[in-house]
Amino acid sequence: MISLQNVTKTYKNGVIALESVSIEIEKGEFVFVVGPSGSGKSTTLRLLLREEEPSTGEVFVAGKNVVRLSSLGGIPKLRRNIGCVFQDFKLLQDKTVFENVSFALEVIGKPKHVIDARVPEILDYVGLGEKLNNYPDELSGGEQQRVSIARACVNRPLVLLADEPTGNLDPNTSVDIMRLLDKVNKIGTTVVMATHDQAIVDAMRKRVIELDRGKVVRDQSRGVYS
Amino acid sequence: MRRIEFYFRETAAGIRRNGIMAFAAMSTAFIALFLFGLALIIAREINLVIEAVTGNVQVAVYLSDPVRPDTVTRLQTELQALPAVASVEYENKDEACARAKKLFESNPAITENVPCEVYPASFRVTLADTSQYGQITARLACEPDPTTHDITCSEPGVLKVLDFRDILDRLSAITRVLRNGVLFIAVVTLISATVLVANTLRMGMFARRKEIGIMRLVGATNWRIRVPFLIEGLVEALVGAALAIITLFLVKVFVVDQLRGRIVWLPLIRNGDVLAITPWILIAAAGVAIVAGTIGIRRFLDV
Ligand SMILES: Nc1ncnc2c1ncn2[C@@H]1O[C@H](COP(=O)(O)OP(=O)(O)OP(=O)(O)O)[C@@H](O)[C@H]1O
Ligand SMILES: [Mg+2]
Repeated sequence: MISLQNVTKTYKNGVIALESVSIEIEKGEFVFVVGPSGSGKSTTLRLLLREEEPSTGEVFVAGKNVVRLSSLGGIPKLRRNIGCVFQDFKLLQDKTVFENVSFALEVIGKPKHVIDARVPEILDYVGLGEKLNNYPDELSGGEQQRVSIARACVNRPLVLLADEPTGNLDPNTSVDIMRLLDKVNKIGTTVVMATHDQAIVDAMRKRVIELDRGKVVRDQSRGVYS
Repeated sequence: MRRIEFYFRETAAGIRRNGIMAFAAMSTAFIALFLFGLALIIAREINLVIEAVTGNVQVAVYLSDPVRPDTVTRLQTELQALPAVASVEYENKDEACARAKKLFESNPAITENVPCEVYPASFRVTLADTSQYGQITARLACEPDPTTHDITCSEPGVLKVLDFRDILDRLSAITRVLRNGVLFIAVVTLISATVLVANTLRMGMFARRKEIGIMRLVGATNWRIRVPFLIEGLVEALVGAALAIITLFLVKVFVVDQLRGRIVWLPLIRNGDVLAITPWILIAAAGVAIVAGTIGIRRFLDV
């Protein structure tokens, strides 16, 4: 599903964020990417999303060489197959829960009947069936993150990328969010999650890839944080 | 359908959010396009005057009565043979009469009581080389009359020659100065309008950068992201164009039409003349929108 082959990423300012990184992730896997701040976790996710291009090496997602994709059609199409969740939720404050999720389908041209069917369904799935018409500032952090997960999943992506999704949440809420991500993973979605959260990584016992200064220093199935 | 509805909604929201900037852009586009239209109308008006005064020829050779067909044929061939002459057209009395009636159609009283026999027949000459005008007067043996300043001729059948070169030159010079002056101001304001429209688009994109970021993230295409802004620019330019066209018609009704009849010999532009320049105004507006769109959203071209 995901393959980084000998990837090096040097930013324009000369920072080497990743160095000769090779990672293979199968369809349906749940993978934690851990490592100290600045070790290249977010950079890895951005490469998969084709927000950044590798300086050298190849990146494949769902069988596509993402470097070769064109910005006209290929990149948007790639991103329709990838859901994204972030620490800061990235919700639109002037839209309701329903609108935040429907926006993601609307802007890729999905017809109204699809939107009307899928949005309530996914919001039910993440446990927000009762809060369709609330605005983000009326929700707790955990609920906001559920909206953002609903938005990421509403188009049924093959891959879910999560960059520190529990970074802003207290431990109990974090556990709820992890249950939800696990549920999404169980229906076949490949999940890649960058995190600092030791308790969560240790509790989940999933595959752990540890980065340090841009290099993979550990790749362990059913691993722990360190 | 849904897509169109989406674009329409996004555009309306964009203009509302950008209220003051959109207003500034639209009013500048309006002034610029109005001046542009004004320049075209001035040029049209002066052309009407030139046509009225000279019939668009440089030299007219009037024939004396009665006009004999063999003289007409002979003189036409001879004039045509002169190297300085590009073309010679014969205008008989009925044609001269019809042209006068058309010229003063907004003021029929002038021509009403003049019978068509009174109008002189003439050759209407266009010169290949205006400085060689002397060839004509020499051939027809014409001399300026010291008292009337008419150029009368001894050639049998020829009454007199009217030389329009000077007046044509002057009128063309006036056209050039007026039209180019207004056109220059129009171009400068058109550029400001373009910059202002581009700026509203840019501010709109900045205000919505979060939404744009999410659109990209979920796989919206570049066009899906840009089109609402391009439509917004187009709408702003077209609103300016509509206001400019309305104002030009108002100028025609409240300025030009008030003059009609006061200066009897002066032909004035009509609704049709204003209508004829509206496509140019719309084209200029589209140009403003396209250029503004291209520079306004350039920074956001990359996915
Ligand atoms: N856009 C950028 N331009 C230049 N350098 C960057 C850019 N993004 C990241 N970097 C640098 O690349 C390195 C890796 O950054 P990255 O964001 O991938 O780390 P991270 O593992 O996600 O860290 P954190 O845990 O703090 O989020 C860092 O040194 C960072 O300063
Ligand atoms: Mg990071």
